[in-house]
Parts: sequence; structure tokens; C-alpha cells
Amino acid sequence: MPVVARIKKKSDTFGNLIEDPALLLSVVVIWAFLGLFVIWPLAKILFMAFSDAGRLSLTGVGAILSKKYTWVAARNSILLGALVGFCGTALGFFFAFTAVRANLSKGWSRLLDWVIILPLISPPFTMAITIIFSFGPRGLITHDLLGMDHFRVYGMWSTLFAETITYFPIAYITLKGILAGIDPTVEDMAFSLGSSRWQVFRKVTLPLSTPGLANSFLLLFAASLADFATPLILAGNRFPVLPTEAFLQITGLFDLKGGAVLSSVLLVPSFTVFLLQRYWVARRNYVTITGKSGSQTKFKSVGNITKYFFLLICVLTALFILYFYVLLLYASLVDAFGAGNQRITLNNYRMILTSGRMAIADTLLIAYVGMLLGCLFGVVVGYITAKKKYFSRKLMEFVAMINYALPGTIVGIAFLITFNNRPLVLTGTALIIILCNVSKYGAYGIRSTVAILQQIHPSIEEASQSLGATSTLTFRRITIPLILPGLFSGLGVVFIRSMTAISATIFLVSLNWTLITVRILENMTELHLGVAAAFSVFVVVVVFVVTTGISFFLKMLRQPGGMRVTSLFGS
Amino acid sequence: MESKRRILIVACLLVLPFSLLWATPEVESPGETDEGTVLNAYSIWPENWATPMFEEFEKATGIHVNFMRFSSGEALARVIAEKDNPQVDVLFGGPVETFGAGAREGVFEAYKPPAYDQLEDRFKDADGYWTAIADDPLCFMSNREWLEASNIEAPTSWDDILGPEYEDMIQFADARTSGTAVTRIFSILEVNDRDEDAAFDYMRRLKPNVQLYTKSGGGGTIPVGLGQAGMGIFFIVDALKTQQAGYDVVISFPEEGIATAAEGIAILKGAEHPGLARQLIDWATTDQMQKFYEEYAINFIPTDPGVEIQQTLADALAGANIFPIDAEYSGANRQRIVEKWISDVLQE
Repeated sequence: MPVVARIKKKSDTFGNLIEDPALLLSVVVIWAFLGLFVIWPLAKILFMAFSDAGRLSLTGVGAILSKKYTWVAARNSILLGALVGFCGTALGFFFAFTAVRANLSKGWSRLLDWVIILPLISPPFTMAITIIFSFGPRGLITHDLLGMDHFRVYGMWSTLFAETITYFPIAYITLKGILAGIDPTVEDMAFSLGSSRWQVFRKVTLPLSTPGLANSFLLLFAASLADFATPLILAGNRFPVLPTEAFLQITGLFDLKGGAVLSSVLLVPSFTVFLLQRYWVARRNYVTITGKSGSQTKFKSVGNITKYFFLLICVLTALFILYFYVLLLYASLVDAFGAGNQRITLNNYRMILTSGRMAIADTLLIAYVGMLLGCLFGVVVGYITAKKKYFSRKLMEFVAMINYALPGTIVGIAFLITFNNRPLVLTGTALIIILCNVSKYGAYGIRSTVAILQQIHPSIEEASQSLGATSTLTFRRITIPLILPGLFSGLGVVFIRSMTAISATIFLVSLNWTLITVRILENMTELHLGVAAAFSVFVVVVVFVVTTGISFFLKMLRQPGGMRVTSLFGS
Repeated sequence: MESKRRILIVACLLVLPFSLLWATPEVESPGETDEGTVLNAYSIWPENWATPMFEEFEKATGIHVNFMRFSSGEALARVIAEKDNPQVDVLFGGPVETFGAGAREGVFEAYKPPAYDQLEDRFKDADGYWTAIADDPLCFMSNREWLEASNIEAPTSWDDILGPEYEDMIQFADARTSGTAVTRIFSILEVNDRDEDAAFDYMRRLKPNVQLYTKSGGGGTIPVGLGQAGMGIFFIVDALKTQQAGYDVVISFPEEGIATAAEGIAILKGAEHPGLARQLIDWATTDQMQKFYEEYAINFIPTDPGVEIQQTLADALAGANIFPIDAEYSGANRQRIVEKWISDVLQE
């Protein structure tokens, strides 16, 4: 039996659409959405960058591209993105491998999951601020602990460190799913043929994980290219990066055109990686769930000594992450962090619950609505692009991923430019923030739905139908339960992103609708660290509680025989 | 059926919040005037100062101020961009060069409050496009421990901070977003007799000593307080706040002089609630608001001659050579100077 096989592609024809009115309707609705909120804003930002007084012109682009500074910033961004992609993927793989292959006890693996999720559910710059406290000429670690006097905290290395720690959980989740999806019998076969552990790892496990590794690299690269907040706080004077420059150009000077041009420059590396990844991963669809194996043999790929060594490193990293969060919690409980003797106070929490109440209410509502719409969007698009054959399918799949692959600064600026004027004025509403989140983070739902559908061998559905079940019954009893984990992770991730993301939405907040993350950045740049820390702790707690709640509620809907869902993040 | 009921419950839970989205009440409720009792503002003062002032205003008048906080560059850029369709009624706080530039762009409505005549000339626009509610000098602020470790005295000259001890140890604001930075640049222009070549040459020589240009004016205060940076140039209000929070910092002034910027307030042209906005300006330009500076430990110099300057602030300023920023000159040149700073200093 071929365990690894390419998925067979049928042809996409226009005829399929005419025969199936429900499909036709979905396709039309999805295209309308994509046209309005992906293609139009993108076209608008490009037009703004490459036009002058309504006519095509290269003067704006030329002026900015002729500056050496732009090139330095572009080079820095790409370098930083690549390094974050590489280091984060390596660290994430290490963790995922330990979690999946080292036969950890339930307690350990739960502990790892729990700690690793922290950076993922925090506002992106929490790490930056705790790093400022810990490193540097008077940092808690470099000065107080190690006695170093002239440690320079600002620059590329600290930015890289902060972004790696912040984003590696994305790699961990992606890779954990992939590693868990590899049937252990594949490795068993290699062992029984006499391979050593290293050979199995190199010849079987690693190649099977390549799509995951590529995917994770792209995700981290994009996350880094979108992150203007970490460099804003940590990069310093000598390491300018494009997202931060574009952000300052827009917020500081309200120079939409300059921001559009810088964004277009940023578009080149992000789009390149996006295309590369699609091309690469698309050729490596591995089917590993056949419905036939089912046996859970014990993994043999990690020896005992290696296991404890891996575990030690993971635990140390986890402790390091915990240390940052304890610091954050402490900062939220004092008035002036680092100044003389401070007593514990709840002032900061009082502040966020009074003057921050509006931001909290707005954020929760926007995140909730965005989560539901984003997830619906993700599952529908994911399902029809993976399972149905129709005209324009491939293009739809591609377009639906664009906003997700593009750095948030570009999407945010594009939305701001597009929906600031007639015919569709959305600035100042909650809707613009929600739509931005849906068009961007709905892709998580698409991705997880598609990934799961690709792993379900068509023979499972065929078996159901050959036993006499109608296609509706098969869909309800077989397909739905199988894609539920996709729904879970989609829901969770869209909510988390809506609560914690800032790079796109910062351009879209208004007097009536503001977000916690924007308030955190505001408090952080104003150095009301206590308030910023209190908001951050609040976000972490809410996201944790709500995501746990969602998985509880959705578990009620689980059909018998569906995959067991233990974590909100798939796997 | 059990599972049907479950689905129903979950469906209800899922749909419920959508109703909230549409039901969000209009913040505005009809009050005694046609304009209601809610005023919208962009505040350049940080939240922890703007909030108590607006709360006191609400106590005094029943008018609630809905506000969003921006650095002055951001706020100015926004009100200019929103000129045809202003989103707020009032621009509150921020250095006068911001207001001078805004007046030139024609974004403000002229209004002379009752306190107008008793204000010093530099605290008001001749045509009434803005008035001042506070005065705020810049200062040098250094970390004491760092000064001692480096064996130097607190800087007392613009040339002191060019020294090698300061290499990579200075933090101050980025002129793209911060009015503090713009006031700093105009200070340097003034001490160089507005000779732009000399002033920009000085800024370029200073650049190797700059560790970070922060997004907001006070952004460097805590790094200096913590010793991450050695010194910075800030408004006295931020420097004293840092000191009073318990950080061991030294405040000093350059003998060549340093600028003070009045903090302004103005009504936006086409504001939805001009009557309420006038009430806020009437209140803010007198002791009615300015007496609260002391109570809330906000270290601004009041513009109302009837309100006494706080003792701590007066002590800190004793003997300093401080000159006012010329709103006319700075407002006319703000945009050009900021652009020149970006290309000739920041991106050089």
C-alpha cells in the first residue's frame, strides 16, 4: 500500500458551477468579498504608489527608491525576517519534535504547551519591553546578574531575539501538527530495515516535515515583516526596518503616499516568499491519514538520554519565557518599575478598568464577531477549494491567502487609503477593523481546513458512500467531524489574532472604536509601563479563558468518531 | 433531542453578540443645548494628564470629553488630513509650533476666550486661532549613577553632549511624530542664530551619540531613569515626573539657552460642537483648570498669571536660560525643517 501518495487533481471546469447552484452562490459571494477587501485595497495602494495626480508616474517611487536609507531599511527587514524565520523554525521544530517524538508524559507535554502558548496570546511588544528591562547597561540580567556594564540592548540582535521568542510558537504549532500526522509505522519500517535513529530522522522524518518547515518559515518571515512594534522599541538608531519606517511615515506625517510607496517596497519580499512557499509546498502533499493504520505504536526515534537532554533544553527555554511573564506581571503591580523601592498596588488595573474600559469592550466585541465571521469564511473557502472542482478555484485559493501573507502594515494602510473615501466609507467604524481581521486571519481557518482535508484520504468518504450513505449524510457524519479540528484552530487563532494584533488595525482605530493593543503601544511609547503591563496581562488572561471556553463549547458538538481534540490549536 | 438542543444553545451564544454590534448606543444624548453634552477631542497630552483634566471639566460643566491621544505630529497630520470632514471638535495640548502650523493650514476656527486679554502675547495667536493653557520648557535629564560612573558632571552646554562619554547613550524623540523633538530642533536653531547649516551640522555630529529616536517625546525618560541611556532632552514636565516617580535623575540646562514651548488649545473649523468646545477653552485658559496642575502633580507652568507656579517646578527652573519658541517662525518653517531633519540627519 502506498502510504505516501500525491493527491490526484481533477479538472476545474465552468460546467461544475452551472450544475451546482449552491456552489455557484458560494463562489460568487466569496469572490465579491475577496474583490472588495483583498484586490481593491491592494490595487489602490499600488496605484497610489505608482501615480501622481491620477496619472501613472514613477516619481514618488523613484524619490524614495533613490534614497540609500530605503535600501538599508529593506535589506535590514529581509535579513531580520529570514533570521527570525530560520531561528524560530529551528526552535519550534526542536520543541515540536520533543513534544511529539520523545514520549513525554501527559504532564510534561501539557506544561510545554501551556508555556509556549504565552507568547502567542500576548500583544506582540510585551517581549520587547521585558527585554529592555533585562538587558542593557543596567538590565536585570546583564547588569545585576552578570555584572556587565556596557551591554548594548538596542539593535538587530535584541530585535531578532524578541521576535524569535514571540513567534516561534507559530512554528511549534505548525510543526507539531505535521509531526503528529506522520504515521509512526513509517518510521518503524525504516527502523526494521536497520536504519539508525539519525538516519530515520534525516531520511524519513525530516523530508516528511519539509512542507511544515517551509510553511513555518513563511509564517515567521511574514510575522517579522509585519512587526513594526518590536523594532520601534528595540531596533534603535542604527537598524531601521521598513515596517517601522512605513508606520512612522503614516502616523507621524500622515504621508499616505510615502507609506504606500514604502509598503510597495515591502510587498516585493513578502510576495516572493509567499509564491516560493506555495510553489514548494504545493508539490509536496503527503497523505498520511489513510484510515487503515490507526495503531499507535510507541515512537522509537528518540533514545532515553536524548529525551532528557531535549526535555532539559525545552524546560530551560520555557523557564526563560516564564521569567519574562513574571516580570510583566510584576511591572503591572507597581507604579514605577525599576525605581527604588516599590510597593505592590492595583492602581494600574484600576486605570485599565476605568479609562480603558471602552477599549476593552470594543476589543472583545470586535474579536468575537471577527472570530465567528473569520472562521465561517475560512471553513467555507477551505472546504470548497479543497473538495470542490470549479472554474477559478486555484485563483480563489491564491487570492484568499494574499492579505494573510502580506504584512499587516500593508493591509492596514491599504484599507485606510481605500475606505477613507467614497464610494465605500468605512473609516471610523468597527466594521473596517472586523473586515480587516476576517480577510487577514480567516486564512488560518482556510489553511487548517485545507491541511486536514488533504490528510483525509478520499477512500474514507468513498467507503461511506459505497455503504449506501447519501452525500449529505457522508458530509455530516464523516467530513464535518473530520474538519472540526480545523474549525477549532481557526476559531482560536482568529480570536487570538484579533485580540493581540496591531500592525494592520492600528491604522483603522478611531475615536469610536479603539483596541487594547493600540492602547498598550500608546502606553508603552509614553512609558506608562505599569498600565501597558496591566493591559497585557489582561489580554493574556482573557485570551486564555476565552479560548479554553470555546474548545469546551465546541466539544459539545463533537460527533462520535471524530478526531479527538485536546488543544485548541489543532493537533 | 439532546444534540439539537445543544446546537440551538451554541447557535444562540454565537449570534447574541452581533446584536450588541448594532445596538451600540450613540454616545451622544440630547442635553440642554442642541449640541448635547459630549465633546470630541484629540489630546496631545498623555492620557494620565488629560484624563483628570477632562474629569474635572465634566464635574464643573457636565460636558463629557471623548478623546483619543496622539503625539503632536500625528495629531497635526490627522487634523490636516481630516480638514474637510473633521472628526473632533478640539485639539488639546501640544507645543505651539504644532498649533502655528495648523493655523497656517487653516484647520482652526478663531476664538478669543475671556482670558485672552490677560494672557501674555506669546500665549496666544494674534488672530485667536489658538490660545495657550500651559508653558513647558525643555531640559537636559541625565542618570545620576551613569554620570558618576563616567566621571562627568551633568551637562551644562549643548557642546557637552557631543563628548565621547555620551557615545550611544542619548535617547530623545523622533521629529516625525513628536513635538518635543521639533521644539528641540528649534532650540538648536535658535542657539545657532537660525543658521541652518550650523544647526544641522551640530545635529549630524550629535547623531553617533544617539542610541534611539523615540516615537513620543517622553519615550526616553524611563530608559534614562533606568540607566539604559545616559541622558536625554525632554520637556520639564516629563523630566520631573520621572524624578518624582523615584528614578535617580539629574535635571540641568544648557548655558546657551533652551526653548520653552507653550501648550495650546484650539477649535477645529467645521467642528460639530463649537459651543461645547468654546466652553472647554474658556475653562482651560483660566485658573479653573490650571489650579489642578498642582493637585495632580503635573509640572506645567500655568499661563494664567493668577495661578502660582508649583514650588518643585520653580526650584528646578531656577537660574536656567530659557527662551520662548517663536510661533510665527516655527509654524512657518515646521514642515520644511522636519523634512530636512529626516533627510539630512535621520536618513543621512
